[in-house]
Amino acid sequence: MTAPQIEIQLIAAVVAIACAIPGVFLVLRKMALISDAISHSILPGVVIGFFLTHDLNSPWLILLAAVTGVITVVLVEAIQKTGLVKEDTAIGLVFPALFSIGVILIAKNANDVHLDVDAVLLGELAFAPFDRLIMSGLDLGPKSLWVMGCVLLITLTLLILFFKELKVSTFDAGLSSALGISPVIMHYGLMSISSVTVVGAFDAVGAILVVALMIAPAATAYLITSNLKKLLVLSILFGVFSALAGYWMAHLLDASISGSMTTVLGVVFLLVYLFAPRKGLIAVMYRQRQQRTEVSLLTFLLHLNNHQEENERHINHLNEHINWQKVRSKTVVDLALKNNMILIDNNVVSLTEKGKEFTELALEYIITNKDENIEPMKEDFFLFRG
Amino acid sequence: MKKAIAILIAAITLTSCKNTSEEKTEKLQVVTTTTMITDLVKNIGGDFIEVNGLMGAGVDPHLYKASEGDVTKLYKANIIFYNGLHLEGKLVEVFEKMESPTKTQVALGETLDTSGLIGSEYFASNFDPHVWFHIEYFKLFAKQVTATLSEKDPKNKINFIENEKIYLNKLTALQTEIQTIIGTLPKEKRILVTAHDAFNYFGKGYGFEVVGLQGLSTATEAGVKDVQRLSNFIIEKKVKAIFVESSVPRKTIEALQEAVKARGFDVKIGGSLYSDALGNPGTEEGTYIGMFRYNVNTIVSELK
Repeated sequence: MTAPQIEIQLIAAVVAIACAIPGVFLVLRKMALISDAISHSILPGVVIGFFLTHDLNSPWLILLAAVTGVITVVLVEAIQKTGLVKEDTAIGLVFPALFSIGVILIAKNANDVHLDVDAVLLGELAFAPFDRLIMSGLDLGPKSLWVMGCVLLITLTLLILFFKELKVSTFDAGLSSALGISPVIMHYGLMSISSVTVVGAFDAVGAILVVALMIAPAATAYLITSNLKKLLVLSILFGVFSALAGYWMAHLLDASISGSMTTVLGVVFLLVYLFAPRKGLIAVMYRQRQQRTEVSLLTFLLHLNNHQEENERHINHLNEHINWQKVRSKTVVDLALKNNMILIDNNVVSLTEKGKEFTELALEYIITNKDENIEPMKEDFFLFRG
Repeated sequence: MKKAIAILIAAITLTSCKNTSEEKTEKLQVVTTTTMITDLVKNIGGDFIEVNGLMGAGVDPHLYKASEGDVTKLYKANIIFYNGLHLEGKLVEVFEKMESPTKTQVALGETLDTSGLIGSEYFASNFDPHVWFHIEYFKLFAKQVTATLSEKDPKNKINFIENEKIYLNKLTALQTEIQTIIGTLPKEKRILVTAHDAFNYFGKGYGFEVVGLQGLSTATEAGVKDVQRLSNFIIEKKVKAIFVESSVPRKTIEALQEAVKARGFDVKIGGSLYSDALGNPGTEEGTYIGMFRYNVNTIVSELK
């Protein structure tokens, strides 16, 4: 590996971590779209910063951009509080307006200054190692690594200091106020951090990748766990893994680096969405099928319980009576047999002691409709659940 | 949970291990931007240097996006040759940031005497960067490339100068050939209508009136008014054919054709010209000389 290759991966990993942390909170607060909104609405801040300093690399640009990011959030909140429009609509109203102000400012002054949308908007990860921080002749490494390193350090410090407060205010704003933690301050603090991160990362890796690195890892982790600490750890892992895997994919294909990283983020989400242990698509489908069988079994057992006469309990009669398809009735009968709930004697089905006991309990559940009645029942009776 | 983390870490280390070890070469590493410059440097440097072009065939230099491989190419480069005059857009800023004693950067277009350059409306307060369409300028490019290579690799200086001589002769032959072909086209028929104004130097050199659809307005997209004005122009001058370019969308020029047809005059689309990039490598149009010959043949045969 050459030095720039290592540096690109280092920058990508740092950006991935710095984005994943605020990303988790944004996803939990259902504000994921705000990162995309901020990435656009900061434009007027950048432009005004440039007009004041006449230097594209001035830290004022990042600062003013971050301020515009916070203004975006304030405006979104204000519009949303009127109760006339929903949050997504409010976001959709605010950021195009701010972005357009930036575009108009550039267009009005484009003849005097060499400042176009591209120059302000697009960082390119591939070239990040060539933009170096040099202090008194000493090469200290890529500039964006330093910027994002600082952002990450601030984010981590704040996260550790205010972890409890963030947790409470994210999950229960009411409780948070009762405990004396202002959800408003937490909200704006978080938004400011997100804003600074978006602006810094924007410059380092470009627009789309920032949004992807904020949302995708958090969304992926949320499929696996709801525990905040695990969420943070998993998001960081997914983010860093996707960034590095994406880099090597770009290397193999000789393709755009940020494009490959974003693709890997999408693929990782898809895989987890399919195969996650509890919330995954396959797990959910399996569980639904199991539940259907369980309901069928219950119906079957209740039927047996209700009918003492032999012709009602004849195995062939069951098919038409309960109106099941053959395959399904076989599954249900097999399940009942396996769990020793029924006996088949001369093609006549009858309940065993265990079957009777189960049916009694089930009836009780149906009458009271209390979940705590059904859960231990499953534990006690269904052997197939393992 | 822990298992998952372990698997992830294992995957990361596995993928990171695919380290391609590049063999050490003593050859001068040269990076070029546009396909025209790549072709030129390959002709002069021959096998004595290693040339890596960043932009492929049909790539609009303004819209070039870096790939992973380009990073290593740039990092290893001893010399970077580029067109300059804002043709490569933001890429030049990157080159400027890479400034170091071990890397030489030459903006070939900016070594030219500005008095001969055409001021550009499209590139505000700058010069038209499409200088390679003037073969004399391309010869100057060749001399500049030879001088730079010889300075950096003195032991191959004789070879570079030898290659330069051969290539300059070829270019001179090309000039004569093109003069003859264009000579068969009557002066009043020398009107070149294209999608954007890449052919100003060509027009100036061979007495063509060049009208670019996008060049008429300073905005990036052609407006309805431009199409109207240009269709009037085409009918008035009885232009037989208009041209599309390999690196510019076909749509705008088709809209122009429709506008002309609507007024009862028939103008055909004369085929695709190479403007900001050469054709696919390995083909005739993949070289500067082949590209120039192709363009001129297409233009002359369609306008006749």
